[in-house]
Amino acid sequence: MASYKAPLRDMRFVYNELFDYSEISSLPGYEDATPDLVDAIIEEAAKVCENELFPINRSGDEEGCTFENGVVRTPKGFKEAYRAYVEGGWGGLTSDPKYGGQGMPSSIHVMVEEMMCSANLSFGIYPGLTYGAYQSLHAHGTDELKDLYLPKMVSGEWSGTMCLTEPHCGTDLGLLRSKAVPNDDGSWKISGTKIFISSGEHDLTDNIIHLVLARAEGSPKGVKGISLFVVPKFIPKDDGTPGPRNGVSCGSIEHKMGIKASATCVMNFEDAQGWLVGEMNKGMSHMFTMMNNERLAVGVQGLGLAESSYQAAVEYARERLQGRSLTGAKNPDAGADPILVHPDIRRTLLNIRAFTEGARATAMWVARGLDLRKKHPDEGLRTEADDFIQLMTPMVKALFTDFGFDATNAGMQVFGGSGYIRETGVEQYVRDARIAQIYEGTNGIQALDMVGRKMPAHFGRYLRRFFHPVQAFIEEHAEDESMADFVMPLAKAFGRLQRATGYLAEKGMKNPDEAGAAASEYLRLFGLVAMAYIWARAAKVAMAKTDGEEAGFYQAKLGTARHYMERILPQSSGLFSSIMAGSKTMMSFADDAF
Amino acid sequence: MDDIRKVAVIGAGVMGAGIAAHVANAGVPVVLLDIVPEGAKNRNAIAEGAVAKLLKADPAPFMHKGAAKLVTTGNTEDHLDLLGECDWIVEAVIENLEIKQDLYKRIEAKRKKGSIVSSNTSTIPLHDLTKGLPDSFAKDFLVTHFFNPPRYMRLLELVAGAKTRPDAVETMRRFGDVMLGKGVVDCKDTPGFIANRIGTFWIQCSVSEAFTGGLTVEEADAVIGKPMGIPKTGVFGLMDLVGIDLMPHVASSMLRTLPENDGYRAIYREFDLIKKMITDGYTGRKGKGGFYRINRDGGKKVKESINLQTGDYAPSEKARLECVSASRKGGLRALVEHPDKGGQYAWSVLGQTLAYTAALVPEIADDIHAVDEGMKLGYAWKYGPFELIDRLGPKWFAEKLAAEGKPVPELLTKVGDGTFYRVHEGKPQVFGTDGAYHDIVRPEGVLLLSDIKLRSEPVAKNGSASLWDIGDGVLCLEFHTKMNSIDAGIMTMIGTALKTVPKGGYKALVVHNEGSNFSVGANVGLALFVANIAAWPEVENMIGQGQQTYKALKYAPFPVVGAPSGMALGGGCEILLHCDSIQAHAETYTGLVEVGVGVIPGWGGCKEMLLRWTKNPKGPQGPMAGVGKVFEMVSTAYVAKSAAEAKAALIIRPDDGITMNRDRLLADAKARALALAEGYQPPEEPEIVLPGPTGETAMGMAVDDFRRSGMATPHDVTVSKALARVLAGGDTDITDVMTEDDVLTLEREAFMSLLRTQETLARIEHMLATGKPLRN
Repeated sequence: MASYKAPLRDMRFVYNELFDYSEISSLPGYEDATPDLVDAIIEEAAKVCENELFPINRSGDEEGCTFENGVVRTPKGFKEAYRAYVEGGWGGLTSDPKYGGQGMPSSIHVMVEEMMCSANLSFGIYPGLTYGAYQSLHAHGTDELKDLYLPKMVSGEWSGTMCLTEPHCGTDLGLLRSKAVPNDDGSWKISGTKIFISSGEHDLTDNIIHLVLARAEGSPKGVKGISLFVVPKFIPKDDGTPGPRNGVSCGSIEHKMGIKASATCVMNFEDAQGWLVGEMNKGMSHMFTMMNNERLAVGVQGLGLAESSYQAAVEYARERLQGRSLTGAKNPDAGADPILVHPDIRRTLLNIRAFTEGARATAMWVARGLDLRKKHPDEGLRTEADDFIQLMTPMVKALFTDFGFDATNAGMQVFGGSGYIRETGVEQYVRDARIAQIYEGTNGIQALDMVGRKMPAHFGRYLRRFFHPVQAFIEEHAEDESMADFVMPLAKAFGRLQRATGYLAEKGMKNPDEAGAAASEYLRLFGLVAMAYIWARAAKVAMAKTDGEEAGFYQAKLGTARHYMERILPQSSGLFSSIMAGSKTMMSFADDAF
Repeated sequence: MDDIRKVAVIGAGVMGAGIAAHVANAGVPVVLLDIVPEGAKNRNAIAEGAVAKLLKADPAPFMHKGAAKLVTTGNTEDHLDLLGECDWIVEAVIENLEIKQDLYKRIEAKRKKGSIVSSNTSTIPLHDLTKGLPDSFAKDFLVTHFFNPPRYMRLLELVAGAKTRPDAVETMRRFGDVMLGKGVVDCKDTPGFIANRIGTFWIQCSVSEAFTGGLTVEEADAVIGKPMGIPKTGVFGLMDLVGIDLMPHVASSMLRTLPENDGYRAIYREFDLIKKMITDGYTGRKGKGGFYRINRDGGKKVKESINLQTGDYAPSEKARLECVSASRKGGLRALVEHPDKGGQYAWSVLGQTLAYTAALVPEIADDIHAVDEGMKLGYAWKYGPFELIDRLGPKWFAEKLAAEGKPVPELLTKVGDGTFYRVHEGKPQVFGTDGAYHDIVRPEGVLLLSDIKLRSEPVAKNGSASLWDIGDGVLCLEFHTKMNSIDAGIMTMIGTALKTVPKGGYKALVVHNEGSNFSVGANVGLALFVANIAAWPEVENMIGQGQQTYKALKYAPFPVVGAPSGMALGGGCEILLHCDSIQAHAETYTGLVEVGVGVIPGWGGCKEMLLRWTKNPKGPQGPMAGVGKVFEMVSTAYVAKSAAEAKAALIIRPDDGITMNRDRLLADAKARALALAEGYQPPEEPEIVLPGPTGETAMGMAVDDFRRSGMATPHDVTVSKALARVLAGGDTDITDVMTEDDVLTLEREAFMSLLRTQETLARIEHMLATGKPLRN
């Protein structure tokens, strides 16, 4: 049976040792978020996740959501867990205090998010969507709309959704057909069908606030004619309580491979009353305010599930006695050695661990960027932080979910045949992890975003926010022999990344197919180098503490860093070769030969 | 050419003064006379005032302040005797026949025998001007019609009368071409000659159709501008530029003199809005604004456009017309065939203007090439009217006119399936009114790379540059990157040239580009990207490679002549600095502008400027004086606004050549290269002595002063100090001798240290994004 313990020690290492947390807590508005408070928050979150959410993860998967007469019921225990979650104030952790939020930094939020994804991804999606809708409304809504909806969304009393996809349009939203017709009172009548709407209908809250993309009558075709509307399930009365039912209904729910306890709905809007959010025809850009943050959050889902899978696999590898070590019995008193003695098992476990710890630190790096962008008094530094986030977002989303899926799969492998049995609980991680590679923009789209938009933006300025600190780190430690095992491989892989970047920028400008052909491999190469940089920094911190009280922790950290450099980073060499191979073979392959 | 050694200009208005200045630019002394103002104390006040104004005007009418010394001012009452010394007397007084004729009589009494007299009239027919004057005058008289401003507009229309002696026309043509650098076009004595005849019709048509078609001024200009190859001011922007109040004058003069059945009369319309604009002082850029204006209310500059229907101003909006994007791919035909209102507008303007023009030959000129040259040089059109018809397809055009029930000009019928221009056996040809094709004959001493390209293949070529055999053993290195910016491909081609010249038995190399600009400098977009990914060794390599390539050019075993015209900035200036000699077009704008993007000249520019100024026998002596001068220029990104200014700045050496007519530049450069090739010896490497740290400190203190007085920004200080270190020679001492490579190393170090700063990267990005320097 799988179990879960939140990795609090490593989280503390990341937020407080690897990075300088005082840079965040000294930002105006974050003064109260002292390290003591952060520790208290993540400890409390760990309890909720371990004790409330994790226990209903597998049962929720077994039971799934049910749909009857337009009503969606979440699995047993979800209502109670949601109530506990709301009462704990978790829904508004980083939200604006003006609307009842706690105004905490993203640096804390990212850790809480990871724990929720580890414990119960399906559950996490409900408040996750509410937070997404909150962000769009907060950034673009009128004060009137914000005063009406935000306090209840922040408290968790009401939930939110994001309604983008339609039956004939997913990635290419320019094709969307949902329409908006003006009413006399300034509101709009929204009609159309939306699919794949997470949390579109459920029984956790009194009201559901949909943010809907639709084309206002007379607006241009394509993405430039799309506007964003807020459409509540129940139209709030003047006193703010849910009033009459709006023309919104759930047509059915999807039967899915994973995240079965998360309701994925077909939503029908029939002359539903809605209100414009932000500017006319700017819906896409308003939605992307949320979308970019959401992509980071999806990346963290990959991390969270990998962590759970790792914990389960380690536990099993210690307990499962089977065969003997290749170099002689390690557990002669028993009939067999634990499978942990086998190099291949150890390799598998270290692979996962090198990813989860590297990803955790990388996620924190980006989350700090979010905090700096939001709160730093210097505009130049805020722009730099934004550049950095723009660049890292597609990488975090795609790399973390690809590696995350691979990690859950690898974790399951450790279990042998037992892993394939549902009650062990680890095959659920594999199924749950799979969707993260797909939604919020498939990983292929992320790669295109990275090479097509982020790389050339401002003549490569976004890239500077990554390449310069890494180059500076390499130069700074070039002579440091103790760091050679980490800096040398980093420098080599970084050089490959530089060459690949220059090559793609040049080729891609002349022929976009060249950039497209190499995009996914480029993104992965970039991600590997980013994590290598983070691991080299982690190694430096750990190295100074290997003799102290927590020697074991730091030695393990160093060992994992070494494993990353020796057995994962070398993939950069193969990726580099693939990238440099160009697009010719795949693009000249006859269409009808496929 | 020696026939005209001294010139007189009578009438010191805008045109007269401008012509006088330009004659002075050619190094020819000029007398500028105007009337004595009533009751004036200073009887020369008008002419003197005009020169003072010339010296302040922007863009500058004088190519160099020193040229003003060649202008002698006076008045028409006391100084007409001066005409006796002049070989050419040009009249540019008010457009009044009586006044002009009266003046001619007085000129006739004073001028020397055989001198040429011309009028700069744009509205009065030549046969009226000479009516009643003796044959001796008419024989020496012609119209020389300049365009405003005379220094910059390349067109000179020449109109000879029935009695004008051919050698006077020839002398004037040679002088206009060689000395004044003009494209001289022979016109007939018809109203508006060539350019204004067509231009006036085109403007009227463009304005009327914009009103009729309900286009905004932004939309009209977006269609008229780039898609038609016309300057981006389009038509409304152009009227703002030249003055809206000028339009009624031009119109009434045209209406007065044009033939009865002229097409202009049919399209002529007056607009209440335009009348009101003129009355209210909205006469264009010189007035309160025009069709566009800059609204400064509220402290911000907001560009606004007038609404043609209501007359109200509103913030300008970028025109969004599908026809404009269609024309980017499908060319002119796609533009006029597009069904949107912009496409319809384009067709109605072009259709009418081109049909009008086609019907004017041979009435206004003997050949269509003259008409095209007139519009290209006088109105800065990229293509002449007949070239535009070729782009549409003459047959298609004729059929469309016929389909619309409009008359098809005879010339169009004649050309039939053919085109007005063609290339025949490697030579450009033009369709004549006789129905046959004729070679386009270039005047002697004109050599065009475009002609060479028609008849030969490049000796070598890559994506950025080519080598052309321009005859007599001379190779020409040509760039063809965007804006001729310098990249790795150009460096490679220089390397190829260094090998090809000796190997192929060539004698010399000319570096020349025929486009509007020689080179805007290094491709900084590429450099910025490489810097953004921290690929420092690659950047350093780019610098080092450039330094060694330019240096190899300097020490090549054959002469290298740079032949720039237009902008030659940064890396484009540095390549010139490494040439053995320069033959520059007079309109060459050159300088080391690197500090604008936060770096210093890194391809030997500092080194070469140091050599020019520290080893200048006529310049200030002592190790510091020359260095200081270079520092002053480079740290302020000084750009010479003409070849003459570049000479004063020693970017062009005292014995380098200047060509007034850009069509003659390549031939002049080639001749210079061949002259050098006789017994050519490469230069010997100089010994360089620089002041070292004391000099650096002195320059640094000057920078600190600029900072204190607010004239230098914080990053200016960083950049200037890095420059100071290079120019002072780093840690050298006045007793040490440095090599060129020592200075190059300093350049490279300074360049790299600056490129690593965020402020420099921000400057480069800003320049690329906005075209303007960032003052950070």
